Amino acid sequence: MAEDAQMNLIWRILGWLVGGVFIFAGLTKIVGFQPFHWLDPMEFARDIDNYKMLPWTISVGLALYLPWLEVICGLALIFRRWYSGALAILFALLLVFIGASIVAKTRGIDVSCGCFGHLSNQLSFAWHLALDFAIVAAVAALWLSDRQTYRAELAGD
Amino acid sequence: MSSLLRQTALLVGLALLPAVGQALYFRSQISWDARVSESEMVSVDQARGWGADAIWIDARPEADFERDHVPGAILLNEDRWNELLSPFLQEHWKPEKKIVVYCSAESCNLAGDVARRLREEARLPNEIRVLKGGWEEWLKTRK
Repeated sequence: MAEDAQMNLIWRILGWLVGGVFIFAGLTKIVGFQPFHWLDPMEFARDIDNYKMLPWTISVGLALYLPWLEVICGLALIFRRWYSGALAILFALLLVFIGASIVAKTRGIDVSCGCFGHLSNQLSFAWHLALDFAIVAAVAALWLSDRQTYRAELAGD
Repeated sequence: MSSLLRQTALLVGLALLPAVGQALYFRSQISWDARVSESEMVSVDQARGWGADAIWIDARPEADFERDHVPGAILLNEDRWNELLSPFLQEHWKPEKKIVVYCSAESCNLAGDVARRLREEARLPNEIRVLKGGWEEWLKTRK
């Protein structure tokens, strides 16, 4: 029983960490580090456009939308509201992002991912990928743990 | 499964609200049609008309610049930004002149990025425009 409580706490902490990472990643694209200072969404739109995969209009739409999706999903993980939905969205976002980064790299496009605003410009491609795979692994682990809890609850009923 | 879909739809929908708010807040700064807005561009004819009142900047890679460039243009690209900016400011820049930046074609982003850096990083007060159609357009209209 004590072991279960300990494991639950570990999953909780991992959830807070991953949630915090996404809130941070979203906020760096919305407000940067200056309080009450909104960043120009065109900056992130240019980062998306640099991948040369989407029309400009869609890049602008995504630049406005994705940071908020990251923040809201991060909050959902921390407060454990719509938890499974948030995990599914973040998992899909990460896979799409990793895929896009690899395709861009193979096409010889040297992109700044913009994942943590312009803080991440200095990271090498290998570090970007390593960071992304670590977050994917954490999200996948949280997903598996959530499904296990869900099944245990069903069996308990 | 239906609960997962419901949660996903709720989160996706919820994120739309602040995004729409932000789009409205920034509506005057957002260019939905092109990476460089129409007001930041200049046609070849108009830029030519400025004559000696304009400084031309070539934002293409150095090899392209060496092959050929607009007469009098100065090389200033992102690859060698730190190295080329100071000489440009010391030897060529004049506060009263307009600046025309060009890259290879309409679809290239280099000129827009260099123009933005000149405004935001170098903080030049000049009127800075991106050449519509870039070098390709210049070649078509070269007399």
